[in-house]
Amino acid sequence: MKTTGDTLECGHSLAELSAYLDTGQIDDPAHLDSCPECQAGLASLRHLSELGSDLLRSDVAAAGSGNDDWMQSILDNLRLELRPGRSIPLQSEDAHDTLWETEGSISALIRSVADALPGTAAGKCRLHGDVTTPGAGITVEVDIAVVYGHAMEERAAVLRQELAETLAFHTELAIQTINITVTDVLEPPTPSKEEQP
Amino acid sequence: MTGSPAAQHQLDLVPDALLAGRAADGDTAAFEALARRHGPLMRATARRLTGSLTDADDVVQETLVQAWKQLDSLRDPAAVKGWLLRIVGSRSIDHLRKRRNHVDLDDVENAVDAGSRPRNKDPENNAVNSSRIEALKTALAKLPEEQRRCWVLKEFNDQSYEEIALTLNISPASVRGRLARARITLARTMEEWR
Repeated sequence: MKTTGDTLECGHSLAELSAYLDTGQIDDPAHLDSCPECQAGLASLRHLSELGSDLLRSDVAAAGSGNDDWMQSILDNLRLELRPGRSIPLQSEDAHDTLWETEGSISALIRSVADALPGTAAGKCRLHGDVTTPGAGITVEVDIAVVYGHAMEERAAVLRQELAETLAFHTELAIQTINITVTDVLEPPTPSKEEQP
Repeated sequence: MTGSPAAQHQLDLVPDALLAGRAADGDTAAFEALARRHGPLMRATARRLTGSLTDADDVVQETLVQAWKQLDSLRDPAAVKGWLLRIVGSRSIDHLRKRRNHVDLDDVENAVDAGSRPRNKDPENNAVNSSRIEALKTALAKLPEEQRRCWVLKEFNDQSYEEIALTLNISPASVRGRLARARITLARTMEEWR
């Protein structure tokens, strides 16, 4: 960049080129293609950006793994508050007792059923309908990810059946519909390096 | 479901969006998997911004606390990584403001690179490239403080001009100007070095 100060000989400034790299916007884009000064300036800024990415990679490598003690110690300090969601009333033998379970515990139950199927992991799940009113019709929506190679429709059918049985056994919800959406197909886990010859 | 090694391993394989969705539903194991996955990146950017490993770990912790509380406001769960980095950026600058009155900042910030030579684990990362990275670190350390922050928030924390403006409490036009000056100085230094 043979320049004095911030302005190139063609009249454009390096500040304009810097903003152009971030926003893709500049007053006369046609000029950029034909101007060797601007091309040189952009090349230099792009080179810097690549070096910046190299520095970031080097810094990340120096930061250690997320499975190291430093992260465990941070996680131990977090004490995450629970997210109970809505309270779902339960029938009781005695009219004086008020029993309920939380929406969060139902979500956890749904995730545990989905996670227990081979090659399947639960994502977001939602209970639609008024769970606070006993007997109100409820629709369950669950996102799942399935590892490549597992038959998705069959997996969804098995999961729907298992969820229906589990929810009927553990809850008093009047489940009308269980909608399962396969949102991701996962790469099969690769063998770790130690296991390779 | 949670806690067993098999389940933990399984969570390590699933994409960010799925983990973020589960975490927003209250699944702490999914949230921890996200934290482990992006922890090194959060720690690295916080360290480059605050200049201190202790502060960086405090920033990562505060970021995770805030992220847990605000996860259900995240509109695009697939964008959770950028979202975490932007929180790291804001929390890091807050840390610097709190510390401003206690120590000479430039001393601390410059001490980072003197105290920690990067461990060169990658054999392909040859000596030429690592010495270019060293040269960039030195050039960064010589920048005026506000320019350096703008550069790191843009290049490392992926913040927009508007977000950097909010984080640093300056105008977007000032961000644009400082970022350009930082880049021009750094690019010139690296050109000379090359």
